[in-house]
Amino acid sequence: MRLPALAALLALASPAMADVPEVISKHVLPGYAAFSKASADLAAAAQTDCAAEGLRDEWNATFDAWLGVSHLRMGPVEEQGRALAIAYWPDPKNIGGRQLDAMLTKADPALLTSEAMAQVSVAARGLFGLERLIYGDSAQISDAYACDLRKALAQDLAAMAATTEAGWTGGYADLVLSAGAEGNATFLTASEGRQALFTQLITGLEFDADTRIGRPLGTFDKPRPERAEALASGRSLRNVTLSLTALRAMAEALAQGLGEIPQTEAAFDRALDLAGKLDDPTFAGVSDPSGRLKVEILQQAIQAARTAAEAEIGTLLGVSAGFNSADGD
Amino acid sequence: MKKTLLALAASTALTGPAFAEAPSTEAVLDTYADLAQAGYADSLATAQALQGAVDALIAAPSEDTLQAARAAWIAARVPYQQTEAFRFGNAIVDDWEGRVNAWPLDEGLIDYVDMSSAAVNEENELALLNVVANPKITIGATEIDATEITPELLGGVLHEAEGIEANVATGYHAVEFLLWGQDLNGTEAGAGARPFTDYLAGEGCTGGNCDRRAAYLKAATDLLVADLAEMAANWEADGGARTALMADPAAGVSAILTGMGSLSYGELAGERIKLGLMLHDPEEEHDCFSDMTHLSHYYDGLGIRNVYLGSYTRVDGSVVSGPSLSDLVKAADPAVDEKLRADLDGSVAALGEMKAAAEGGMAFDQMLGMGNEAGAAIINKAVDALIAQTRSIERAVAALGTEATVEGSDSLDNPNAVFQ
Repeated sequence: MRLPALAALLALASPAMADVPEVISKHVLPGYAAFSKASADLAAAAQTDCAAEGLRDEWNATFDAWLGVSHLRMGPVEEQGRALAIAYWPDPKNIGGRQLDAMLTKADPALLTSEAMAQVSVAARGLFGLERLIYGDSAQISDAYACDLRKALAQDLAAMAATTEAGWTGGYADLVLSAGAEGNATFLTASEGRQALFTQLITGLEFDADTRIGRPLGTFDKPRPERAEALASGRSLRNVTLSLTALRAMAEALAQGLGEIPQTEAAFDRALDLAGKLDDPTFAGVSDPSGRLKVEILQQAIQAARTAAEAEIGTLLGVSAGFNSADGD
Repeated sequence: MKKTLLALAASTALTGPAFAEAPSTEAVLDTYADLAQAGYADSLATAQALQGAVDALIAAPSEDTLQAARAAWIAARVPYQQTEAFRFGNAIVDDWEGRVNAWPLDEGLIDYVDMSSAAVNEENELALLNVVANPKITIGATEIDATEITPELLGGVLHEAEGIEANVATGYHAVEFLLWGQDLNGTEAGAGARPFTDYLAGEGCTGGNCDRRAAYLKAATDLLVADLAEMAANWEADGGARTALMADPAAGVSAILTGMGSLSYGELAGERIKLGLMLHDPEEEHDCFSDMTHLSHYYDGLGIRNVYLGSYTRVDGSVVSGPSLSDLVKAADPAVDEKLRADLDGSVAALGEMKAAAEGGMAFDQMLGMGNEAGAAIINKAVDALIAQTRSIERAVAALGTEATVEGSDSLDNPNAVFQ
């Protein structure tokens, strides 16, 4: 009964849509479809050739696609810890590295089944588990178990992506779209649906500024370039840029049909412009004063985008951000 | 991490049709502050009892005095964990909290550890500093004389050294490590098993440097007592925390809800409970040395319910209570209040099942083990209950607030700014 309703909404001419349906049809569903496709391609490539070098293009394409939706921490991706298993970072105590080393040493074939892989520590799975095996020290390992482990991790990632996408198309999108309707026990009012999406936007911007950039920044006296995200693959800045691009699209979609958001757009444009001009792919420059200043300015620009989005989009939607999983310490 | 605060204009709730039933915002805040005052006073008193037990252990190390000190530590956690509901809404508490309850810690900073354990942290050069064994230590480029182990050394030099949060030199968990030692059982049964002989002066000392270990334990316990005394004073009549709370009643109501929601969801359900299960890593256990994590979680849950219902049962059994946030929400929207109260009861019950299972022999770290389906079910039930109550807390915010518009810049500089 719900599926036709979704289909009908998605079939509407796009300019007529507003906020929630716009976000779902133009941002969420295409984003998950792209991630699902890219991870399936990666899994297929791993079946053909599981040597580390051969997987790098597909792994990068999958990470690119994930950044289109990585800020969406609601619904299917939150079930069974999928968001964590897809991309467990930061991992300050190197839990993923320790668990993977233990697996490589033990070389237990029983762990390679899809059922067993789903039980493995989230820190060892997903994009960062694979990064260790195709860029880190373990990339040099050419034995059969390392090879099979790459295959199994890629398969597991593709399965999580497919399940997440299916969760949205097979019910969760309808649940968000029907926020406030009778019988919707998750979103009791239309406002709760909007607030849930708005919270993802704000939290995503906070993660980019505080974690993706804040961790390598450290303090002036103690910069921490070694803490940058995806350091082994050299994607740290690229991840910020792609995340901001996705968040900008989400902000546009949220405001669609409700009003203009000139300050938010300008703030996003400035942050993206700064990111584009920053010639420091892994934020290694945080260790010297001039390089550090550029990274700090980018961080401030992202914080400004958050501030503008809270003010403009929050007002248009009539909501404020709710609690998110990053609350606490 | 930055807290996302909730917009709220509590005063508008008083203009609703049910005005007559609602207590004044000030009366609700008075109750809340009274609960905090009693909670921190109880925390202080039980920490002083711990201090006495630690003194007895150091004076005459034996299995009995060690067990008595451990029992005193466990008793001290009961009132303290209930005060965690005050943390995220009140800057004065949140800024202070890291001194008393910081976690997780690289315990190798303090004392000997098993080198094959997860105590090694590649991101922390001080993770194996071992102050107990080393009177001369180097932090960054600075050489430090640690011959005398004092509260100043712990709080002013070692704690969060080099800006790394895992350098926890003070607080309950530092004391816990010194009383129990590392739990080397992974996700199998068993807690830390430090022998009392780690505190024997002279002949029979195990682990080396027993005198310095005793000095560390003494300094950490004394500092804990001093820190708790400071916070207890903050909630007295003219204390800083109470004054800040009462200065802006609408912000004060927001502080209660922010504290409830942030602890329920991001901190407790996420960071402290669900994450450990996802990682299958016993290091992700809040009280990982003593295996008393179930108590921490249970009393956190109870504390969240306490502040909503405006009632706290003290260590001596007496009850502090008064007009509550529940009364305010009920006046604005009885259905929201009823659901939230039911959700709070649900989470306390689910956390109670976790506590019962642990007391029955399945400690929290065993619940985290890969393949322990019964353990996972207990954990997931608690997480689901906490997430459900978070949604209801958001609905309480909506019921009390009106048009929640956002004013941005304050939020970046001042996490306690209320957007409105």
